[in-house]
Amino acid sequence: MLGYIARRLLWMVLVLWGVMTITFFVARVIPADPVGAILGPQAPPEAIERERERLGLNRPIYVQYARYVLDLLRGDLGVSLRTRRPVLQDIAQFFPATVELALSAFLIGIVLGISVGVVSAVYPGRVIDHASRVFAIVGLSMPAFWLGLLLLLGFYYKLGWLPGPGQLPYWMPRPPRLTGFLFIDALLAHDWPALTSYLKHLIMPAFTLGWISTASIARITRASMLEVLREEYIKTARMKGLKETAVVMKHAFKNALLPIITVVGIRLASLLEGAVLTETVFAWPGLGRYATYSFLSIDFNAVVGVAIFTAFLYAFCNLVVDLLYAYLNPKIRYV
Amino acid sequence: MRGILLWCLVSVIALPLLSAPPKDTLIIGARTDIIVDLDPARAYEVFTNLIIEQYYDALVNIVMDQGEVVAKPGLAQSWEVSEDGLTWTFHLRRGAKFHSGREVTADDVIYSFTRSLSLNFAPIWILSQYVPDPSMIKKIDDYTVSITTNQPVAELIIASVVGFQGICSIVDSELVKAHATEADPWANQWLKTNDAGSGPFILVEWTPNERIILDRFDEYWAGPAGVKRIIFIDIPEPAAQKLALDRGDIDIAWDLLPEQVDLYRSTPGFTVIEGPSWSIEYLAMNAGKPPFDNPLVREAIRWAIDYDAIIYGIQKGAAMPGQTFIPAGMFGHLPETPFHKDIEKAKALLAQAGYPEGFEVEMLTSTHPRRVAIATQVQADLAQIGIKVNITQMVSAQFYELYRAQKHTFLVAGWGVDYADPDALAKPFAHCCTTGPEAPVRQLAWRNMYADCETTALVEAAAKELDANKRRAMYEEIQRRILHNGPYVVLYYPLNQVVTREVVKGLVLNPMLSFTEFWPVVKTG
Repeated sequence: MLGYIARRLLWMVLVLWGVMTITFFVARVIPADPVGAILGPQAPPEAIERERERLGLNRPIYVQYARYVLDLLRGDLGVSLRTRRPVLQDIAQFFPATVELALSAFLIGIVLGISVGVVSAVYPGRVIDHASRVFAIVGLSMPAFWLGLLLLLGFYYKLGWLPGPGQLPYWMPRPPRLTGFLFIDALLAHDWPALTSYLKHLIMPAFTLGWISTASIARITRASMLEVLREEYIKTARMKGLKETAVVMKHAFKNALLPIITVVGIRLASLLEGAVLTETVFAWPGLGRYATYSFLSIDFNAVVGVAIFTAFLYAFCNLVVDLLYAYLNPKIRYV
Repeated sequence: MRGILLWCLVSVIALPLLSAPPKDTLIIGARTDIIVDLDPARAYEVFTNLIIEQYYDALVNIVMDQGEVVAKPGLAQSWEVSEDGLTWTFHLRRGAKFHSGREVTADDVIYSFTRSLSLNFAPIWILSQYVPDPSMIKKIDDYTVSITTNQPVAELIIASVVGFQGICSIVDSELVKAHATEADPWANQWLKTNDAGSGPFILVEWTPNERIILDRFDEYWAGPAGVKRIIFIDIPEPAAQKLALDRGDIDIAWDLLPEQVDLYRSTPGFTVIEGPSWSIEYLAMNAGKPPFDNPLVREAIRWAIDYDAIIYGIQKGAAMPGQTFIPAGMFGHLPETPFHKDIEKAKALLAQAGYPEGFEVEMLTSTHPRRVAIATQVQADLAQIGIKVNITQMVSAQFYELYRAQKHTFLVAGWGVDYADPDALAKPFAHCCTTGPEAPVRQLAWRNMYADCETTALVEAAAKELDANKRRAMYEEIQRRILHNGPYVVLYYPLNQVVTREVVKGLVLNPMLSFTEFWPVVKTG
């Protein structure tokens, strides 16, 4: 087991190095000048030269690469050209908002997705099964930014039931930033108005992001459950006179869980992808929005930093899922 | 735990959904991601300078007064120039206070200018072209400062340079020095996010890409501002700004598109505030490359463009017609608009230039929807005289890289005024005597490889001319030369437009948007 983990970690380092190298060079070979863009169209050429020198961008690309790798080994992701702050500090500031959004979306995805999947597997071919299929297909095919805009238009603009973009009403002060997680900060500060406002602000973006996961989790749950429900031991359980809920939840669901875990694991990491669009639409101050701004201004260091960080999360989630397999199915052992 | 969850659920549902913003707080929805550093020595983007304008003060205030931009006393109550036109003496206002409570003195002025010149960030050229060395700024006594320039300069130039909120904002020298370190002797890191000003507001919070909060400074020398607090909220999308304004969540939408602004003209409860902006939308033709090296081709293009279609069709009227590079309302503007769409004339000029069948050319544009629309209109117009235009869209970082390197042939772009004097436009648009890398000013004329030593000399002489009438005549002459020979087609001067809720009163937009003051703004409900 330990050997397996060690090998996986080694692979992870290789993957991260690959991601870093590719994004580093791709970001630098495109024929664009981020310094010129950041200083604005009117900055005189001398000022641009001075700034390039200050940032070390006038050095040969292999020197820049070597320096970057050395800094990275010390845990330094460089300084963002756009925010002029250490990239790590930026990630630390924006990541908590993304985690809160992704976890809420994830919860929605799991609870809704598994319920819908189980119900439609138990009643295959019935109205509820068809309805859940439509729900899943719509969720999978609707782009997040479009769904987000529709929700905003309906529930914020027309009906006024839910608040608009952002995490808090615009005029409301943010509770002191202790952990960076607004939910926890508001709890610690006993700031109830901020907490309730925040939860209301969370509903639409979390649902937008969660729906996509709901769809794929529901589909895989249904398929896996249908397969298990056809197994001999389920028939045996039923013949023994067990209640239907016990048959479904205790015997079928537990055994159907393995493929579901795989999808759930992948979904958790890919929620970050969806967060890029969802955060932009809902003005959610998270890592996705930071990434969008960085891409648009060709902020080398921030782009590479976010790429490494995201790749790390992906690899980490996959590793956790693989280890969960062993826990859930004692037949699987890693060597 | 279950109790907390239940409580959260109940309160989410039960609490009133949207509580109204407080009456004495002004909430502005804007695109704020451009702000990366609030150190005045570095600020060089319209929106950053606009924020700095609210909590710093400069020696001179550049304000809009009855349709004209004028220099009014700021921290300096009065100023005069020596007979040779080289030394300016500023008399400071007594009793003006920094937010720390300290009085503003000559030492702070000297420190602020020295600091900006030493830090040498991008916008410093605005000051250093006339005052290159800190030793040229001297303390006469605690309330008097003299500034010597390297050549005689007109009063409007020096006033608009020292009135530039940013490099010439006055910082609290004691406070900044207290945060200096060996590695950072000018406390740039500290001033990036902190306030050392004496303006009508105090910087309370800046969370990048989220919001900026400014509170009223009650001891401001000109009296306290009309609202207690201003909150700038980052809402990058114009459509989202519109939603928030309609729902009453914000008081002012800062970046609406002209077609969105139009919708509010007839909507009760809202006010459209607009005014001229000192900026120029133009086409640039690289005079160093065929076919634009032929002045007749450039003139033919100017006669082929449908200016009205661009102003009224694309810009929805949010523009002032104009064809010279100094916009209307600015000192020295030449109100000549000789060009209109005349296909026959354009074709004749093209034939005379040796291109009777026209030619094919690549036109660059940034991905900004307005610029793309203009490029498409120009493509259609020029097709009528046989010129085939291929449009290439690219992100700004790529676009300006090519433009700065003189690698374009034809493009559409815009330019804003850096300081409130025509010198700020004559330099970029007309100052170029050589197209090589040794040129002292490498801006628009240089980028478009349009070298004209006679006009360049005139630009330099106009900056030194102290007689206002002679100076005006010189700028008119420069514009006339560029109008017919230059490498540009000036399309229009855009308007500044914002929409406010009706309760917002007293907002006047400065043609240089970053000089707009929120100090007089009040909220009536």
